Amino acid sequence: MTPSDLWVLAQAAAISLLMALASIAFGTLLATLLTPLAFAPWRLLRAFYRLYIFVVRGTPVLLLALLVFYALASFWGRISPYTAGVVVLTFYLAALIAEVFRGGVLAIPRPLWDCCTSLGLPRLSILRRVVSPLVARYALPPYLNVCVMAVKASSVLSIISVWELTLASREIIERTLDVYRVLAVAALFYFIMCFAIDRLGRQLESRLAARGFAGERL
Amino acid sequence: MIEIRGIRKSFAGVEVLRGIDLSIGAGEIVALIGRSGCGKTTLLRCINFLEDYDAGEIKLDGELLWYRPPETGARRRYPEKALARQRQRMGIVFQQYNLFPHMTALENVCLGPRFGQKLSAEAAEVRARELLTRVGLAERLNSYPAQLSGGQQQRVAIARALAMKPQVLLLDEITSALDPELVAEVEDVIRALTQAGIAMVLVTHAMSFAREIAHRIAYLADGQIAEIGKPEEILDRPRDKGLREFLRRIR
Repeated sequence: MTPSDLWVLAQAAAISLLMALASIAFGTLLATLLTPLAFAPWRLLRAFYRLYIFVVRGTPVLLLALLVFYALASFWGRISPYTAGVVVLTFYLAALIAEVFRGGVLAIPRPLWDCCTSLGLPRLSILRRVVSPLVARYALPPYLNVCVMAVKASSVLSIISVWELTLASREIIERTLDVYRVLAVAALFYFIMCFAIDRLGRQLESRLAARGFAGERL
Repeated sequence: MIEIRGIRKSFAGVEVLRGIDLSIGAGEIVALIGRSGCGKTTLLRCINFLEDYDAGEIKLDGELLWYRPPETGARRRYPEKALARQRQRMGIVFQQYNLFPHMTALENVCLGPRFGQKLSAEAAEVRARELLTRVGLAERLNSYPAQLSGGQQQRVAIARALAMKPQVLLLDEITSALDPELVAEVEDVIRALTQAGIAMVLVTHAMSFAREIAHRIAYLADGQIAEIGKPEEILDRPRDKGLREFLRRIR
C-alpha cells in the first residue's frame, strides 16, 4: 500500500462521512415529521407510522439499497448512486430516529403534561417550549447511537456503486492484494469518524448537564 | 364562587367519587382530608379538569365549566381552547413540584403568562420576578430546578401557579414530599397568600396547618364528603365515626 493509496482511502472516507451526515440531516428532518404521527389522534396516521417503522426497520439496509436504487432508476431513468444512497439511508435512519424521538416523548413524566395542561398552554407552545427541548435531551444518547450506525451503514452503499470507503478499499485490495493492511486502515478511518461523533455528542451532553439538566431528575 | 354538584368519577369500574357537592366562597380556604385513596386528589384534579368526570357539574362564578350547558342531553365538552382559558382561572400545585427541568426558575414562571396568556416577554418577566420575590426566591431567578432544594422548587411551583393570576389555587399535598425542615418555608408562603384573599382548596395531611389556615375542613370517605365544617368542629368534635377513627390514627 502506497501513500497515494492512503490518500485515496482518506478521500473515500470523506465521502462516506458526507453521505452519512447528509442522511442523518434529512433523516432527522423526516423523523420529526414521523414521530408526531405516532401520537396523532387519528388511528389511520398511527397505523401509517407503525407500518413505516415495521417495513423499513424490518428490511436489511442492503436490500433496501438495491430496492430503492432500482426502483428510482426505473422511474427516473439513470439516477446517481449518490442520490439514491442518501435517499436510502434517509428512509432507513428516519425510521430509527423516529423511534428514538418517540422514546423521548414517552420519557416525559406524565405530571409535566399535567402542568402544561393546567397552565392552559396551546399545543404548539407545549411542543416547542416543553416537548422538543426535553425530547432533545432524553433522546441524545440513543440518537448518537444512530449517528454512529449511520457512518457504518454507509458502507452498504458500495453495493449500488457509491464510491465510498468500503468500495475504495476493495479496489485497492484487488489491485495490491494487501488485504489486511488496507482493511486495517479502512477500519481505522471508520473508527475515527465514529469516535469523533461520539466525542461531539458527549460534549453536547455535558453542556446540557451544565445548564442544570441532570437527566436523572425528572 | 365555585359550585361543585354531584361529581362522580370511576376508574376502570371502581367509583372513586360518588357524588361530591361542595361550594367554595370567594377567598375561602377549604382543606380536604381523608385516608389515602379516598378520592381527595381525584376531586382536586376534577376541579380543574385534569381528570374528566363522569357526571356532575362545576361552576365558577355561575359559569358552567368544562362541559357545555346541556341542551340536548348529550354531554359535550368545550373545545380545547376554551378549556385552556377556563383552566387558567385556577392554579394547581402538585406534590412533586413538577417544574420544567430545562428551564430556570424565572422561565418556569414566565411560561404560562407568556404563551398561555400571550403576554409580552417583558410583562411576563416583570410578573415572574415579582412573584418569585414574593416567595423569597429573588436570588435564585436563574437557577435550574436541579440546583434548588425541594422547598425552593415547591415555592417556584407556587409562583408558577400564581403567575396566571388564578381565582382559585388548588394545592395537592404540597408539603408531603418535603423534608421536615423545609415544610415551614412552603407553609409560610401559603400563609402569606391567605392575606391576599385568594380561594384555596388544599389536600393535606398536615392537620395543624389545615386548622390554622382553613376556613372549613371537609372529610372525604368512600368518595363522598362524610363531614364538613369549621376546623375546630371537624378536628375537635368530630361526629362521623370514620373521621374519629381517622383522626385517632394520625395523632
